[in-house]
Amino acid sequence: MNNTYDTLVIGSGIAGMEASLLLAKGGKKVCLVEKLPLIGGNIIKNEESYPHLECSTCMVAPVQQEILQHPNIDLMMLSTVQKVEGEAGDFHVTLHQKPRYVSLTACIGCGMCYEPCPVSLKNEWEENLSDKKAIYIACAGALPNVPVIDPEHCLQISGKKNCKACQEACMFEAIDFSDQENEVDIRVKTIVVATGFELLDVSHFSHLGYGKLPGVYTAMEFERLFASNGPTSGELTLRDGEKAPKSVAIVHCIGRKEQGYCSGVCCMSSLKHAHFVKHKLPDASITHFYSDLCVPGKLSQKFLHQVKEEGVHFIFQTDPEAVRVAENGSGLEVKYTHGKGVQETLSVDMVILEPAMIPDKTASQIAKILAIDQDNHGFFRTLDEKAGSTETSRSGIFVAGCAEGPKDAQYAVIQAESAVGHVVRSLSVSHTE
Amino acid sequence: MKTTTAKSLRVSKKEGVRKPILAFLKSLLTDAVFDAILIPMQVPAGDSYAWVLVKDPSLLDQANPLAPIMPVQGAKALKSLTRKGEGNLKIAAVMRPCEVRASVELAKLNQIHLESITLMSVDCPGVLPVADYFENPGESEKRFNAMLSENRWGNGSMKSVCQICEQFSILPSSDFHFGLMTGSESSVVLISSSPKGQRVLKDRSLDGSVSLSDWENGIESIRQERKKERTKRFREVQSMVEGFDGLLKTFARCIGCHNCQSACPICYCRHCYFGSEASKLDSDFILKKAEQRGGLSFPLDRRMFHVGRMSHMSLSCVACGLCSDACPVSIPVADVFSFVADQTQRTFDYKAGEKREEPLPIRQYRLEEIKGVEEWVKDAEGVES
Amino acid sequence: MRLKIGVYVCECGPNIAERVDIDRVIKVISSLEEFEDIELVVKRYKLLCSNDGQAFLKNEIESNALTHLVVAACSPRDHESTFMNVCKKTNLNPYLFNMVNIREHCAWVIPDKAKATEKAIRSIRAGIRRTLHQSELLERELDANPDVLIVGGGIAGMEAALMLADEKRKVCLIEKTERLGGKSIFYSQLLSRQGNSAKMIQQKIEAVQQNAHIQVFTETELESVVGFFGNFEIVLKVGKETELQTGLKAGAIVIATGFRLLNPNKLPQTVYQKEDEVYTTLEVESMILNEGKISLKSGKSPQSIALVHCVGRDEKGYCSTICCSTIIKIARMLKAKLPQISIRVYYRDLCLPHKTDQQTYEEVKAEGVDFIRVKEAGIQNTSIEYTQIDGVKKKESADMVILAPAMEPADGTEALAELLNVSLGETGFFQEAHHHLNPVATSIEGIYIVGAAQGPKGISESVAQAQAVSGKILNRLIPGEKIVPEVKVCKVLEDFCTGCQTCLEVCCYGAISFNEVKGVSVVNEAVCRGCGNCVASCPSGAMRAIHFTTPQLYREMIEAIR
Repeated sequence: MNNTYDTLVIGSGIAGMEASLLLAKGGKKVCLVEKLPLIGGNIIKNEESYPHLECSTCMVAPVQQEILQHPNIDLMMLSTVQKVEGEAGDFHVTLHQKPRYVSLTACIGCGMCYEPCPVSLKNEWEENLSDKKAIYIACAGALPNVPVIDPEHCLQISGKKNCKACQEACMFEAIDFSDQENEVDIRVKTIVVATGFELLDVSHFSHLGYGKLPGVYTAMEFERLFASNGPTSGELTLRDGEKAPKSVAIVHCIGRKEQGYCSGVCCMSSLKHAHFVKHKLPDASITHFYSDLCVPGKLSQKFLHQVKEEGVHFIFQTDPEAVRVAENGSGLEVKYTHGKGVQETLSVDMVILEPAMIPDKTASQIAKILAIDQDNHGFFRTLDEKAGSTETSRSGIFVAGCAEGPKDAQYAVIQAESAVGHVVRSLSVSHTE
Repeated sequence: MKTTTAKSLRVSKKEGVRKPILAFLKSLLTDAVFDAILIPMQVPAGDSYAWVLVKDPSLLDQANPLAPIMPVQGAKALKSLTRKGEGNLKIAAVMRPCEVRASVELAKLNQIHLESITLMSVDCPGVLPVADYFENPGESEKRFNAMLSENRWGNGSMKSVCQICEQFSILPSSDFHFGLMTGSESSVVLISSSPKGQRVLKDRSLDGSVSLSDWENGIESIRQERKKERTKRFREVQSMVEGFDGLLKTFARCIGCHNCQSACPICYCRHCYFGSEASKLDSDFILKKAEQRGGLSFPLDRRMFHVGRMSHMSLSCVACGLCSDACPVSIPVADVFSFVADQTQRTFDYKAGEKREEPLPIRQYRLEEIKGVEEWVKDAEGVES
Repeated sequence: MRLKIGVYVCECGPNIAERVDIDRVIKVISSLEEFEDIELVVKRYKLLCSNDGQAFLKNEIESNALTHLVVAACSPRDHESTFMNVCKKTNLNPYLFNMVNIREHCAWVIPDKAKATEKAIRSIRAGIRRTLHQSELLERELDANPDVLIVGGGIAGMEAALMLADEKRKVCLIEKTERLGGKSIFYSQLLSRQGNSAKMIQQKIEAVQQNAHIQVFTETELESVVGFFGNFEIVLKVGKETELQTGLKAGAIVIATGFRLLNPNKLPQTVYQKEDEVYTTLEVESMILNEGKISLKSGKSPQSIALVHCVGRDEKGYCSTICCSTIIKIARMLKAKLPQISIRVYYRDLCLPHKTDQQTYEEVKAEGVDFIRVKEAGIQNTSIEYTQIDGVKKKESADMVILAPAMEPADGTEALAELLNVSLGETGFFQEAHHHLNPVATSIEGIYIVGAAQGPKGISESVAQAQAVSGKILNRLIPGEKIVPEVKVCKVLEDFCTGCQTCLEVCCYGAISFNEVKGVSVVNEAVCRGCGNCVASCPSGAMRAIHFTTPQLYREMIEAIR
């Protein structure tokens, strides 16, 4: 592995992938760092993406393939940035890579190794809705199609037992229990930060019952439940795995007040969720609790009308977060305020909470390592006086995607391309100097 | 902008409609409203008709806007005239509605140029099958004219596609129309429905106070009868061609002459695949096929030819029936093709040649098109599970 | 020359080997009678995509002097490019190679091994047959001009120009009006997150004017464009006398024609006359900018101002995204200038999708601006008629009314789309190539869209898009580097073409033109991407996709099913 690059891209979500690929195609050498064992980011968790309801996996898979195969991209998975020194044009970066225990070159992804593994764990990538083995891939279709071993729970690696079940099952001698963590020093001229987002943890809104009432789901859980490569292979059932919900409440703006911003995309994804339910369970009744329908852009409102026509109800709440969800027999009841302060209840089988988008949990640490500013929400700050630019407070470092603030995939890609524009400009400047 | 104006021509019972129409057309030539008129004309021997581009007004005496047969489709004549672009002459083409529709289809396919052409349509009683007519042209003329004057439209001796034709009168795509079915025998209504049509009526001294309702009622009542007949006939055709065997049987007589294709106004390809080298097969391959089936009949690909032609032109088929006229072995080609065309055109909510501004279905994509397919896929999935 | 076809069956570890009887496959394929005058080399290998496998394949091609190659393995999506690259290292043309998928199509989906084997044999036979009908295709390189034409001198166009122009790349920026800046020059203030100062706009205008690599044409429109990515030839209509400027060349074109505001007078629910104290957001912005204050036509100060959101939203069928923040910004400016008066904002949904905007809203609310939520609202001169969220209808009046009308595509959008052969979306804005993955490109390679021409948006988003275009162009159009167009293109068989021009209408890339003299269609192979739309729609069979010809597909299919 060559250790000098034109650009270090941190995060392999839609923004990070677009930035890497665009640069690589333009002949730039890119090091792409991803903390997970797979690439693709949050977008591949979605079965379909609005407004065209295009299959996300199908849409993104060719991009992922190109990333994996492009000679100008060195992909470092299971890796994090430890240290950054130097300055624009010559950053010295130390990366830390965790062991995968499975060779990316030898493994062909046949999947023979999972079956014999005796360990069973919750699959957190699937929002804990399904189980995985100690050697696993996140979900069917994950790329690269190469598993990883969880060292903490693997009997062999954790030293609990001399188990070699997976190694024996592998025809390609791809599994190496002695794989070690690794520190890599590289030198890069520019850095693009694309660390993405996560959804606000809603378990602290105790009145919404998440974590206590099994019928309450987060938006991300629902996305996986609907996904054809997800825990239920796309079958829409409650946590018992059998019963399909007859009635669903979708509660908007969870955490909007607390966070102090509107995430701008959740209304559209909640409408998409309503459409999903209607699509799979045409007789299910669906009720949205919302305060503002934020459907910006030239195509979104049409989708809103389409969903309204499908027979989905909308109930206005001054503050949707103030609804209460309680147990009601085998189901749930949603208490809300109707009209001028009248309390009403609605019985449902399923509640989907639509939480705010917040920065990825690694954001503060990365901000410290890169010495770039965050805003008061923890997103990376761009220069106000250069409205719309992707330049951060530090020269040579650019930010793209939801690491900069909540946004949809389109705008994330736009920012990635913008960051690439800045990267290429600064490279040509340092070149001519 | 669509502008409709109507006037009327007086007709005496003895004269019939042909003479006053020809006199009117003659005045258009002498007053230089048009430089030439394309119209069917009886051949000198008096036993058939040909398309003639008339410059000399006196020639119009032999013309017949309501010829009893259609040996050549008018759109073909118009195509010969304008295929290589247009001259500066202003030309009127006096045609049956199916000829107007074929012309409009060909114009959409850039095979005809209509910029300087005024399309004049005539209420069409239908035409006789050419084979019937040629048995005794003189007798046939008399029979046809009698039917015309007695208003016995949709008569059983007309071509079978004519008997079930619903688009036999004014069309949104014609510039000018001669309405014959006025109920009273004393007038022909003249309707202009485009700026080009307006030019025709301008400065003509004609009876201006016309009520169109008699004519409209007359047309509508014929249309209703034909509609009924059409449903019935299509059911018969369906049971005739349904399934692979039905199709084989219907076209079993085919001798592979491709006359239907030559006569068809819509089949406009320079070279047909079915006549090309590409369609020829190695003899080894043919032997193998014969071995598989036990035997193979020649010429090859006779049914495939019909299915292929159908899939190529059915969206533009105007059901003029020339293919049946052209068939030397009396296969009811037009009945089958018009039946299929009715279904394919309905799928895309399209009527060949009816409106000029309607794009050809193959050139545009509409979301609704997919919805039908989705339903179909769902049904298919349902069957499987 | 005697043909020699190499057929290599990949075991893919146990994936294929365990589910398909490869020995039988090899035996049957080696002894196929129908290929008896062709020499077949049939072998198996454990993993062809591995480095060893690729080296093996390279050696096989060279040592056997193969004329054609068939690899039976996984999906072409996984490794077609891998094996084509192996071919490229040898003398074998990569388009004489064919990949047969016996993993996803056979091994993984057919539980019965005998049946899977049978299907694998048929597929390989079909693949061999297809390969025999394939022809050598050659990659070509074309010179490319790195210069860029930008249409529209608003904030997006200027930003794109500044990002793109340098010593090696000239930018030609054309603007329809007499000055640069677009709508943004009417703003007295930007949003707080945009640095709050309108100076930024002025600085950009100056930077553009001073940049030696940017040539600005004001009062100029596009007259015609011919050519393709890397090689556009452009004619401009310059100045009031509209003299034509020819000879301009560019490798890429950026559309930055912006927007106009919907005329509220056209709507039935907003009834007012010119003399009424009713203004659009843009009119108020320029009033504050030019006069430095807010006043009625009489010169007096208004005592109450009403601001109405979503004017024309339903009629247009979309939310214009930026009007909520604009109204809040204006309300704040009004409050600062006239702290004592009543300012009431009538809104339907708060659409504040940017992370800082809600905070601004909370602040403005705290400063004493009233926000009234309505189901719908209209005006009769300066009285506001609205329906509350509970259905109750109300009527209020104000000294001055400010409307936030929807953003529409700029004048001339349709004509420009036609001139450039790019599509407009259903709401009339320019259509991006892919909503998520390619938002600043159009379906025509080398033509890009930025700013409100692509859809309603604000300054920041327009700037981001302009910078995104620079990212695209700087990486795709590198000075001195050649471009490699698609190899698997479509061609016209002139003898068959009847000139109906159906292909011109279905081509998404503008690759087909019409030769009036010959009366036939002509494919520009530098632009064609080989999608085959024209092939499928040609009524007379005159179009050929050169790597998907009828004989190739027909023979492959016949071989598979016989």
